[in-house]
Amino acid sequence: MPEISHTWLPLLYLYGVGGIFFLIGMIIIRKSKAIDLKKKRHRYWYRVLIFGYFYFVAFHIIFTLVALYW
Amino acid sequence: METTSSNIQTTFHSIGSSTDWIVMVVYFIVIMLFGSYFGRYNRSTKDFFFGGRRFAWWLIAFSIVATGVGSHSFVKYSAKGFEYGFSSTMTYINDWFFIPLFLFGWLPIIVYTKIRSIPEYFEKRFSPSARFLATVLLLLYMIGYIGIGFLTLGKAVIPMLPENFMLLGMHFDITLMGAIIVIAIITGIYITFGGQTAVIFTDLLQGFVLLFAGFLLFFLGISYLGGFETFWNLLPTTWKLPLADFSKPPDFNFVGIFWQDGVAGSVGFLFMNMGLIMRFMATKSVDEGRKAATFNILFMLPLSAVVVGNAGWIGKALSVSNPELVPPTTSPDQIFVVVANIVAIPGVFGFIMAALTAALMSTVDTLINATAAIYINDIYRPVEKYFRKGKEEKKTRKKDKRELAAARWASVAITILGVVSVLAFKSFPTVYEAHGYFHSTLTPPLVIAIFLGIFWKKFTPSAVIATFVGGVALMILGLHDANLITPFAHGIEMNHDHPYSYIRAFYNLFVCGAVAVIVTYSTSIQHTIVSKIRSKSNHKQINYALIALAVVLFTFVVFNIGTFGLQFIGILIMISAVAIVTTYTVKYDAVAQTEGLTVWSLDRAKEIFKGSKVNDEEGELIKIKWKMKEGDDDIANFSKNDMVRMKANVGDLVYLCDARKIFGGLKSVHTVYGEPHDEDGIVMLNNEHLLNGVFVDGKVLTAEKEM
Repeated sequence: MPEISHTWLPLLYLYGVGGIFFLIGMIIIRKSKAIDLKKKRHRYWYRVLIFGYFYFVAFHIIFTLVALYW
Repeated sequence: METTSSNIQTTFHSIGSSTDWIVMVVYFIVIMLFGSYFGRYNRSTKDFFFGGRRFAWWLIAFSIVATGVGSHSFVKYSAKGFEYGFSSTMTYINDWFFIPLFLFGWLPIIVYTKIRSIPEYFEKRFSPSARFLATVLLLLYMIGYIGIGFLTLGKAVIPMLPENFMLLGMHFDITLMGAIIVIAIITGIYITFGGQTAVIFTDLLQGFVLLFAGFLLFFLGISYLGGFETFWNLLPTTWKLPLADFSKPPDFNFVGIFWQDGVAGSVGFLFMNMGLIMRFMATKSVDEGRKAATFNILFMLPLSAVVVGNAGWIGKALSVSNPELVPPTTSPDQIFVVVANIVAIPGVFGFIMAALTAALMSTVDTLINATAAIYINDIYRPVEKYFRKGKEEKKTRKKDKRELAAARWASVAITILGVVSVLAFKSFPTVYEAHGYFHSTLTPPLVIAIFLGIFWKKFTPSAVIATFVGGVALMILGLHDANLITPFAHGIEMNHDHPYSYIRAFYNLFVCGAVAVIVTYSTSIQHTIVSKIRSKSNHKQINYALIALAVVLFTFVVFNIGTFGLQFIGILIMISAVAIVTTYTVKYDAVAQTEGLTVWSLDRAKEIFKGSKVNDEEGELIKIKWKMKEGDDDIANFSKNDMVRMKANVGDLVYLCDARKIFGGLKSVHTVYGEPHDEDGIVMLNNEHLLNGVFVDGKVLTAEKEM
């Protein structure tokens, strides 16, 4: 079994530190009203942005599990 | 095949057959003819550089594939795939973190402010001096990027060429630089006569070809090995993990690559790669640009990661199962060509190599086109205006023709500079490390300046110029003494030949960000000092003395004169001097120069773009026929009923496009609603609309209110 520094630590760092950048971005675009959730189109984009983050989290978790156990 | 003892790497020559060369030549001729055909859609510099803001999202999304795959090339990712496995994909799957800020910050700003280059944004947001410094840094970045592209191209074709050849009885050695020069000539010819529309359509074709060629190679490789299960079982577990080890080895570690690529690289690629930005600006609307970017990052980049890296994975499996066929010591930068030659039959190998080299050319073409745009917008026009003593020349066809010619000559000059810049990257063991070092070193000042400029209203001209000058000086200090980077290194071991190639980005971002924030928060102190200076009778001399002091101190740092401590203190004094001089010199209106130029006032940006109040009501997209009218005003006339359906008012903006979706917006035009008539289903257009839109008689159009 590879060391944790090669398996879960990079993943936690990627989505932890990267997640902070992502969250700051989401807060800025909401506070500035660059994304206006009263608009139907913007609500769609807001969901796409959140989906994208978890899509990549899931992607890396699945591929790490496949590498380790398949 | 030969083994060089100096770096214990096995290198290859004369791979491939004459059939492969024929296929490659035919492929290139087809691509060049295809691009030249679309060159006819360039009627102005706007079309040459931006493709006329008309295309559908899917066309741009696929055309970006060739640019993305080309720049993050087959060569470098196959090399890392061969050395470290599936973690070669990680740089393709870490771009989402900055997407909210790109889609709802930078993209609408660049479209609505109608800026034609990033430095132009710096002039509007800060000052002409900020624009000048941004131009210098951006040109260095773009030309360096072109150099990386040429280096990769050279390394891709060298294994296919003999070591030397005879011509007219004379003996010639084939060198890397020689190959690069020949490639640059071919690239320069194509881009010079094509322009952005040609690049978009050539890249569209190549996007499909690349994906096909990449997956074909993967399929052929798996078949050659005896099936997926054999391939999977040949690879060690560590090779199958999607992310690299956290901090080792120095030439490929997760945390360094996260800061270099995931942060500096992602922001650099999305926010300051003019080639990519011009693609998004070529979409018909901001929403279409968002769709293109999202589709590209969610779906095309993961696929591209497989396309570019799989030759390395197959190579690794082959080196385990048959080390005589693929020695484990094979030069990583040659593994793509070596594997393709083994698993593909003659002809197919030629096709794969043609797809690879053409993709790289696409990247280089896009970058050359974008750099020429920066030259025209940020050097040619300001210099011309200066010689006209500030008088604006009227926009005429003659002027546009002259600028188009200048753009073409600039493309030639930039191609030559790109070739020369290869010399700076040749010493790195792989293209991947050269590119990583390049990104870490050149992007941080611009990344910080663009980022804070867009998202922080308080960010001032003195802070941005101090970031460009002081931040760069602190970065140079880090180049002189790599120990300065050690506290940021997350435990990465220092490689003394190329210290901290990747994690250097973290240090560079930190120092640039720190300078930016500290200078911004000391604005009131700067104003107090400047008031005191102004109260002196010799205030101009004091200002000149501060400029001279800053220049001298910067020179000391560049040429590494003095001890580390003295240089550091000198940089702090220099940053203070630069901030005071800028506050003294630049007239900055914090309200006017942020309006419409930061994420906090996008509605105002839309109003400025339209020229009147924005109409955001969602109307129908309608199908319509056109009729010709007299005049050359930029106004289209619809019937009253059609305008009601579109929820449009006179003065709103409208987008008209050939209804055949296959054209992806190539035949389209933006215009303004004029006074309505009574004939439903008909739009009245003038000759200029028809020429710009390339509309065909009798063909139905779609009409859509923009705002």
